[in-house]
Amino acid sequence: MAQIGSFALLLALALSVYSFLAGLIALFRQDEGSERLSETARRAGVATFAAVLLAAAALVFAAFQDDFRIAYIFHHSNRDLSAPYKFATLWSGQEGSLLFWSLLLSAYGFVLRLRYKTDPRLFAYASVILAAVQIFFLSLVNFAANPFGLLEGPARPDGSGLNPLLQYPEMVIHPPMLYLGYVGFTVPFAFALGALIMKYPGEKWIHITRRWTMVTWGFLTCGIFLGAHWAYSVLGWGGYWGWDPVENASLMPWLVGTAFLHSVMMQEKRGMLKVWNMWLVFATFWLSILGTFLTRSGIISSVHAFAQSSIGNWFAWFLAISFAVFVFFFFKNKSHLKSEHKLESLVSRESSFLFNNLLLLLACFTVLWGTWFPKISELVQGNKVTVGAPFYNKVNIPVALLLLLLTALGPLLAWRNTSLESLKRNFLWPTVGAIAVVIFLMITPESWGSVFGLKPWKDISYFYSLMAIALSALVTFTVASEFYRGGRVIQKHTGQSMFASMVQLTHRNTRRYGGYIVHFGVVVVVIGLAGAAFNQDKEQEMGYGDKMTIGSYTLICRSYTQEDNANYRSEWAVLDVYKGGKKIDTLTPERRFYHASRQASTMPYIRSTPSEDLYLVYEGLNDQTGKPILKAHLNPLVMWIWLGVWIILGGTILALVPNAPAQVRVTVPKLVEHAAPAVTGD
Amino acid sequence: MMVVIAICVMVSLASGFYIFYLPGKLYLGPEKTRASYLRERKDAVYENLRDLNFEYKAGKMPDADYQSLKSSLQDEAATLLAEIARLESKDASTPGRAKA
Repeated sequence: MAQIGSFALLLALALSVYSFLAGLIALFRQDEGSERLSETARRAGVATFAAVLLAAAALVFAAFQDDFRIAYIFHHSNRDLSAPYKFATLWSGQEGSLLFWSLLLSAYGFVLRLRYKTDPRLFAYASVILAAVQIFFLSLVNFAANPFGLLEGPARPDGSGLNPLLQYPEMVIHPPMLYLGYVGFTVPFAFALGALIMKYPGEKWIHITRRWTMVTWGFLTCGIFLGAHWAYSVLGWGGYWGWDPVENASLMPWLVGTAFLHSVMMQEKRGMLKVWNMWLVFATFWLSILGTFLTRSGIISSVHAFAQSSIGNWFAWFLAISFAVFVFFFFKNKSHLKSEHKLESLVSRESSFLFNNLLLLLACFTVLWGTWFPKISELVQGNKVTVGAPFYNKVNIPVALLLLLLTALGPLLAWRNTSLESLKRNFLWPTVGAIAVVIFLMITPESWGSVFGLKPWKDISYFYSLMAIALSALVTFTVASEFYRGGRVIQKHTGQSMFASMVQLTHRNTRRYGGYIVHFGVVVVVIGLAGAAFNQDKEQEMGYGDKMTIGSYTLICRSYTQEDNANYRSEWAVLDVYKGGKKIDTLTPERRFYHASRQASTMPYIRSTPSEDLYLVYEGLNDQTGKPILKAHLNPLVMWIWLGVWIILGGTILALVPNAPAQVRVTVPKLVEHAAPAVTGD
Repeated sequence: MMVVIAICVMVSLASGFYIFYLPGKLYLGPEKTRASYLRERKDAVYENLRDLNFEYKAGKMPDADYQSLKSSLQDEAATLLAEIARLESKDASTPGRAKA
């Protein structure tokens, strides 16, 4: 398998190099043979996918065959590992995950190259750029991090096993989702740069890449939250986001990608922000690679970064070259990106998008600064200073609140200009509703639970929570009013029920109304995040029959059990949970010790309800007393976060559905005689 | 080892055949011209007009706002239509020039 895998990787690299060079020559050689050369380049790109797929299949096959002669399989698998984790070996380590990255990139390239008839010339440019990126990753797996490297010496009877922290169901799907997101941003970037190089007339490249961008954004969102859920369910510290550099690495392209998804609408609708969008799409791509550089180079310490290795230099060079290429073409063809309209008013849809972009970039810059600060401080002062959650929260919570405000305002503002009368019409009732929610939360008794009876003056975190929930309510009311008003117009015309009218309304403009559902999902996530201000935790030694009280729960320790299987030995506590004097559940937090890797890991038990999570961690035995130590966390509203993600993904999928044809007629007055050129562009 | 070599040779030959065997005519697609670009812009402006009409009917803006926004969008559409017509008539009067 190792020989076939190595051969497939070399073949893939050769095909990519051909696809790049032949494609490049064909683009600049405008003669009769150039079309045929371009076609061979396209086909070489398609064949690259087959070759990388063969290499990936060889690695997975080797994992299932327990072929421990291959160093990668030896280090990341063992005989007793279950089948899903053996499959996940492909992305469990440095070399395999780079191969997986190449596979996804070639898969995206495969789809793109099959769809070339949409616009063969633009696709040819994008294909060449994708091939260039592909060459980089295939060079890495061929020459710097080969997953088919063989171990020296006699054959090993068993492998060292997969990292215990990765032996969790979400780790089978979290990395693929995240990588699909990271890699996917290469496609809109390739089209954007291609359009810039060829001075592509118009905004069709945005139409072509719109779905790619949304799908990619959806994957990245899914990957980020699966990672958060994994951290919450496995790491045992009771939280879901720790501002770790690896987490930050995924958040940065997401923030800039979100800004791009919004601002690109201004280019489509009004031919504005062309320069800005070009930079945003480049920054999204670049930050995806930067994130990978951070994770792979060992330049910044992280709890879940890959081992320190020499491939950091490769990434640094690639980042520098891609930046130089982009900057060169940007300055060469900048005149092509002239805006067709100017911002007419600060109170308009355009300006709300602009502010939204600025806030998202500010958040991204904060994350970037915080992530790099240890390195910067080391260079300047000579000692590493790490910044923690307080630094990120100080900037990002106010930014997130302002973003929520814009999420409420933006959709209700008109393009170009919004009058005071218009503002009054659209915001009066949603604002009244949001104020009512604030008053309700403040006057309700504290005994109702976490967010009730809120006294914002007691603590800044309470103030932020109240503001987050108030603005979430404002967004919800504005989204609801958009559906209601639109549904009412259709109902008047068709006589259908309000629900059927709203469904038809959504189908007429899936992008817009799918987007509103995404906004609503974000609101649900924010409410979940707002619950963090009311988290409680308690740690206690618990022998048989001992009691622990946290919030309205009482935990009584019933017993401890041990078990041993081929993969790990485990011990867990059995605790009865009482609420209001009534037994409501039995929880079993667990601690495992994996034989192959000789590492321990906790498996917290989480009792999740819409109002709060009871999160129990079995921390092991106290060396002195011999008694088990248990830690309990009470985390309000966490379930809302995961629910919100499902809503976001539902909205994203809805936004991908093609629109039903519109039936509204448009009237345009007679032509303007001897008009000046209508808009800029070639 | 022979099996491995045979597989590698077969895969290489199949790739070469797929890449370089190009029977028939290639699809090149229409060339993008300024006129086709302007038609895309026209479609975008029409879509903006449709959105504006719908938002007005939904009661999101007063009559004065609607009329002002509508007339500026209509002016934009008219300017685009004028240039498209001018380019089309120029194309028609140039013999042998392909229409995009």
